Amino acid sequence: MIERGDITGCLAGKILRINLSNQNIGTEETKKYAQKILGGRGINSLIMVNEIDSQVKWYDPENLLCFGVGALVGTLAPGSCRVDISAINVFSGGKGSTNVGGFWGPELKFAGYDNLIIVGKAGKPVYLYINDGIVEIRNASKLWGKDVFETENILRKEIGDEHIKIACIGPAGENRVRGSAIMMDTAKAAGGSGVGCVMGDKKLKAIVVRGHGKIEVAEPEKFMAIVEKCCQKCSNEPNTEMMRKAPFNLYSDPEWEGWNINIVIKNGQDDQWEKEKRNKLMNPVTGVPALQKGVRACYACPIGCIPYMEVYQGKYKVYRGEGFWINTIMGHACRFDISDPEAVVESWLLTNRLGLDGDYVAAGLSWIFELYEKGIITKEDTDGLELNWGNSKSLMEMIKKLAYREGIGDLLADGMIEAAKKIGCNSEYYLIHVKGQPSIEPFRVPKGWALAVSTSPVAGRHLRGATMGSKRYGPKPRPGNFGVTDYQNQAKGVVWQGKTKELEDNLGICNYVGTWSGANFLTISDFAELINSGMGLNLSEEELIEHYAVIGRNLEKAFNSLHTDMSREDDLPPKRFREEEVKSGPYKGFKIEENKYNEMLDEFYELWGWDKKTGMQTKTGLEKLGLEGIAEKLTKQGKLIDQ
Amino acid sequence: MKIIRNSHLCYACKTCQLACSFHHTKTFWPERSSIIVSRNPQDGTIKWRMSTTCDRCINEKEPLCVKYCIYGALQVVKEVKEHD
Repeated sequence: MIERGDITGCLAGKILRINLSNQNIGTEETKKYAQKILGGRGINSLIMVNEIDSQVKWYDPENLLCFGVGALVGTLAPGSCRVDISAINVFSGGKGSTNVGGFWGPELKFAGYDNLIIVGKAGKPVYLYINDGIVEIRNASKLWGKDVFETENILRKEIGDEHIKIACIGPAGENRVRGSAIMMDTAKAAGGSGVGCVMGDKKLKAIVVRGHGKIEVAEPEKFMAIVEKCCQKCSNEPNTEMMRKAPFNLYSDPEWEGWNINIVIKNGQDDQWEKEKRNKLMNPVTGVPALQKGVRACYACPIGCIPYMEVYQGKYKVYRGEGFWINTIMGHACRFDISDPEAVVESWLLTNRLGLDGDYVAAGLSWIFELYEKGIITKEDTDGLELNWGNSKSLMEMIKKLAYREGIGDLLADGMIEAAKKIGCNSEYYLIHVKGQPSIEPFRVPKGWALAVSTSPVAGRHLRGATMGSKRYGPKPRPGNFGVTDYQNQAKGVVWQGKTKELEDNLGICNYVGTWSGANFLTISDFAELINSGMGLNLSEEELIEHYAVIGRNLEKAFNSLHTDMSREDDLPPKRFREEEVKSGPYKGFKIEENKYNEMLDEFYELWGWDKKTGMQTKTGLEKLGLEGIAEKLTKQGKLIDQ
Repeated sequence: MKIIRNSHLCYACKTCQLACSFHHTKTFWPERSSIIVSRNPQDGTIKWRMSTTCDRCINEKEPLCVKYCIYGALQVVKEVKEHD
């Protein structure tokens, strides 16, 4: 592996390891891992692939719950706040990973730790209290059963320090509902892969962190000059103003092109929502934007995209909290054909409060709504609830049933694929999932999106390379020359986007501040300057992208090969989108054409250095990256191409 | 002179707290900052406090908290002393 210099800055220095079965607590040096993969998710992946035996399932005590704070987090590098949470994926059985911002990650570094690795299971509910060198496993019996807001409030009162940062699960995670999130700072969801379910399975309710230490950088004045330059870049970018209003506001224009490209309605029946419903939901005066009372930023973020929302109706009288995303429009509104703005915000905040993943709720429950429409399930199955499209009250009740495993919620909580097997009647065809994880993503129109979501190593999420064309979206220059609906050249963009995200997650830089959004914020050359002056290294842009980022993706790919039987078939979009066309709107008639998709997939595999026919990794490819030990493991299981 | 914050422009990102700690220590050390920022994500409140350890970034062209606040929420104002 490339080791260009000795790391002298940015790291907190230690990895904290906690065994909940025997209460052993220990630390080790971060540097030996960081020299190979810098930090964050990369270190989590390295530990998982090296330490979790391929026979281990997500519910075994040997499953690791890994928190990896990015290498630059704790400094003033713009957007450096992100934490990766990895574990065995409860849906796919392979690599699980999800990424979250806020303030918990920086606090862990100020407490002295870059990563936190949890193994084993507690015998009764516990929470972790980490205050610099003090690490305690505490009784959480009085927190068990509390929602996310209540949990935070009890812990703040009990500990008596307003500066503690809390990661916790809600009732959903406690009840081992598969699509449970780990919530940070109340409102930021680490939602994908079922990490909250793993945390609940370990009977771990919360992780409280307080840090009083410092993060040093290798060349302080030079580093600050680069930070200033990066901030200036963000200030000068025309899209900053839009981002600062919270990006969902783009949809307050019913003609905004995102409505035609990103939206899937009624569980995939069409990709077009009526304009009057768009307007009702997102009208600037009477819709969701009117419920936005402010905007907040994560730690050290120069953009600030978190809306603060308030609703003055509902069970809690006043329902309020941070967060409402484009995904909420895609999921809690369009997926159910609900255009009542207050109902959508309220159901979103309820999802957070109970510690559920929003995408899982939207994709999984809209599937049940469609089964109800088709008569595959009836009121007898739903405890009398009418699951007709647009019924927000039923959605709220179903969210609660899911989190608390009540009635039909118990059936769904063990995963929608398991539920489909029990329901029968061809119900699985209507379930939109990738590698087992329910998905709200669009497939038929944006082809780069379809490719990235379908090939994501963590099962069906868009942040591993999704593109919206090379021209209108994302920083320039980026490779390829393709529009959002093209098949040709799309793989180039997806792989480039995927590589940059690998790097960002190792560094802990937010994807919005990096290469995601339709703006020229931070680019790879900025990352290189921040890394080199901050960590004391001497790395080129090419080394970062073609070595460190490629290692990251290969570690996850190898983990999937070692733990599952995933094949090329699993990298295809959901069957429904290969068979059923968009019914209306400007993209009427669009669907995934399998032959063209497969050509895209061929190119995608080749660009990552994998076998074009099977998608499997190759011996020479892994050896080139210095991953000989992993190549050996794969060879033993017959999961490596010997070329 | 003193440093004031416009609460309407503040996003509670803690950049000012970090930049201040850099002035004092040449490291990122929130506990050694003259500024403390906290926010309650449940009720939306933001607390921003400046302690007496603030030296207005002596030897710097402008206070680092003001310089690095990309939202323009902080500014330096002259203190007007009242005379009897």
